[in-house]
Amino acid sequence: MDNLMMLIQGFSVVFSLENLLVCLLGAVLGLIVGAMPGIGSLAGVALLLPLTYKFNPTTAIIMLGALYYSNMYGGAYSAILLNIPGDSPAVMTALDGYPMSTKRNRPGQALFTANMASFIGGTIGIIILTFMGPALADIGLHFGPAEMAVLLLVAMTSIGWLVGSNPTTGVVLSLLGILIATIGMDLQTGSPRFNFGNIYLLGGVKFIPFVIGTVGFAQVMRLMDEKDDKTESKITEKLTIKGSLLTGHDFKRLLPPAIRSGFMGTFVGVLPGAGATTGAFLGYAMQRAFKSEEPLGTGALEGIAACEAANNAAAAGSFAPLLALGIPGSGTGAVLLGGLMMWGLNPGPLLFTNEPEFAWGLIASLFLANILTLIIALGIIPVLLKILAVPVKVIIPIITVVCLVGSYSDTYSLYGVIIMLISGVCGYVLEKSGYSTAPMLLAFVLAPLLEDNLRKAFVISGGSTSAVFFNSGISITLFVVLVAIVATPIVRFILTKLGVLKNKKETN
Amino acid sequence: MKKFVLVVALIALLSVSVFANGTAEAGSSAGFKPTKDVEWTCTSKPGGGSDIFTQQIKEALKSQGITDANVVVSYVTDGGGEVGRLQVSMTNKAKADHTLLTFNSGDIMPMVKNTDNRIENFTPLAVMAVDKQLLFIGEKSNYKTFQECLDAIKAGKKVVIAGSKGDDIETYNKLLAELGLKESQLSYITNDSTSGAITSLLGGHVDLCMSKPAAAAQYVEAGKMTAVLALSKSRFKTPSLKDAPILSELGYKDVEVPVWRGVVGPKEMSPEAAEFWSNCLKAVSESEVWQTGYIAKKGLISDFKDYKEAKAYMTEYQTNYLKEIGK
Repeated sequence: MDNLMMLIQGFSVVFSLENLLVCLLGAVLGLIVGAMPGIGSLAGVALLLPLTYKFNPTTAIIMLGALYYSNMYGGAYSAILLNIPGDSPAVMTALDGYPMSTKRNRPGQALFTANMASFIGGTIGIIILTFMGPALADIGLHFGPAEMAVLLLVAMTSIGWLVGSNPTTGVVLSLLGILIATIGMDLQTGSPRFNFGNIYLLGGVKFIPFVIGTVGFAQVMRLMDEKDDKTESKITEKLTIKGSLLTGHDFKRLLPPAIRSGFMGTFVGVLPGAGATTGAFLGYAMQRAFKSEEPLGTGALEGIAACEAANNAAAAGSFAPLLALGIPGSGTGAVLLGGLMMWGLNPGPLLFTNEPEFAWGLIASLFLANILTLIIALGIIPVLLKILAVPVKVIIPIITVVCLVGSYSDTYSLYGVIIMLISGVCGYVLEKSGYSTAPMLLAFVLAPLLEDNLRKAFVISGGSTSAVFFNSGISITLFVVLVAIVATPIVRFILTKLGVLKNKKETN
Repeated sequence: MKKFVLVVALIALLSVSVFANGTAEAGSSAGFKPTKDVEWTCTSKPGGGSDIFTQQIKEALKSQGITDANVVVSYVTDGGGEVGRLQVSMTNKAKADHTLLTFNSGDIMPMVKNTDNRIENFTPLAVMAVDKQLLFIGEKSNYKTFQECLDAIKAGKKVVIAGSKGDDIETYNKLLAELGLKESQLSYITNDSTSGAITSLLGGHVDLCMSKPAAAAQYVEAGKMTAVLALSKSRFKTPSLKDAPILSELGYKDVEVPVWRGVVGPKEMSPEAAEFWSNCLKAVSESEVWQTGYIAKKGLISDFKDYKEAKAYMTEYQTNYLKEIGK
């Protein structure tokens, strides 16, 4: 219970007027930044970092921690309401969030579900962080390049089967995503690949403009194409918070996936370099194995809950290696680490010993930020819903501007805007031809991680395949899961042919 | 909001530069003095290593009263930083005297390797600090000294080093050449940052980790990492690192690849402005804030070179590197 004592001490640090205000400010800014497509947590934290140079370190990290944290809430908003994921984890949220808000006509409940699931996932994550932070970080260390490579293989293999209705198109688009991800500098040797002599392509295709284009700008074109104002009339009567409340039954549906994902997400967050996107993805993947009342992908509440809980839990989990070992679990973590060093702290294994006030203050502030953000988030749902009441002819130019600004602000250059426009057109054409673009986006995020880890694993093993896949208990277990995922459809197909299994409709 | 301010500042800068074209020329005859906002390009993201370096100098310039010029840092990260470097190198006369760029050894390598941009397209202003590398073992490593690693390699085993990009790869290549080993005997895995390499070492996935003293300091203090080889011409003086031998003690020639951090301007910067900025940076380098707040904290070696020395130093570095990669 030593940790509990330290945590209470942490709270006493946080509950000063200055720190409370800063935490609130961080939470509000995080929501706004997260809700704006293009400015994800990384950019948000990076932009605000210079502002905090003059603060004392504890106050500064409380603000940035709250900001990072509430960002995960905000990312879901544009995904649910406009089908534009604000950041990479929200790609998963959009899969069920957007259909739930438009097709099932329950936008309020979709937002509410996202917020509640985020809260549950986050709380689980922070509690685990409090009691087993350093131990958790040690578990993360067991995941070397070989283990990470197999884990990512599991994730990549399941993309095609999990997202969208047709596995074949899913696999085709995953491959396209991988191809685009290889543009830029080679991860191990730094040699240029597929840059065609272009200096901009040397840095690769950036995710933010790519996703804004593929999903957001394509959405604009679709809206122009459809030219209907249906969304306007349908929703106007539900603009109150009352109309957005979840029923008792909804809560029952939300709870199991949120809790499952909460635990799993925390764990994924701890793994080196995996982060919230992998967490959200695996949370969603796991939900496939469990029963959902409505099929996933058609606006199922369980789908939103599973990925939102997982990404918030992963955000909390990624603090474990950051605080216990000074190792950032994500890009945002790396920026926070830069901040820590700038404030004169030395993040590393001694942080808890040397700066307990700071470390526990941060953890306490996460608890506080989680609650504050939930209250603020629920309060602004009615305001957000008004977006849906805006006529399509007005919303089209607005989203277009948001897409332009979002893609520009990633690196402050027109390169992002060009990427956004090109991928927008491609995204539109693909969707029109019946190809869901989500697998491409996910493969784009996961492929560099997979490549990097796989190549490192091969260097370490001297090129031996068995040393990659059968090197440790962890990788053997994961490899069995991988084989199971690949073999299931084939075995099922054969069994159905032989008449052992009845032909079921939902084979995929 | 910051973005907005930045955009406004940039527009202001642009318009000022158009109107103040003549004045800058006139002022330069009687020594140079900044007459407008100074745009300092940083090719890493805010919070990255180059940014911290830049912000510390900016802070010192102001707090030490070295110059009252308004310095605006802009982050141009496209193309792995090559876009920012190209922009600065092509800055024309009107703006050249008021344009600075953070430029490190880790920047020059990918630049000359992947683009046609060369140090000759810049005006080197200063080298501010130098850093050196060490090899570390972790708690879970199979070997206790670097000699044991070498013996293991001789016995047919494979030893793996984890490190970061750029400078680290260069150091590894030099080390490999000096030891006369093959890549398959002493392998290297590239991580995005040193912390990634440390993660692999702590997890016991690799045998050795290459790091600069600052990044490893906490782990050494906590007993999780131990220095086994100093890639330097003399042993480190820090108590926790002084036990690490240098290569010449093991019967080889010393390998030292200095990792330097510097500042350059565009090619068209006037000699007067180059001298002015070089002097400013010298003053920063000699200030107490810089020495304790940056150099000491980061475990760097303060090694100031003015614009003449920096030019020779950076050009020689480039020549050597080009020869090595056969370009």
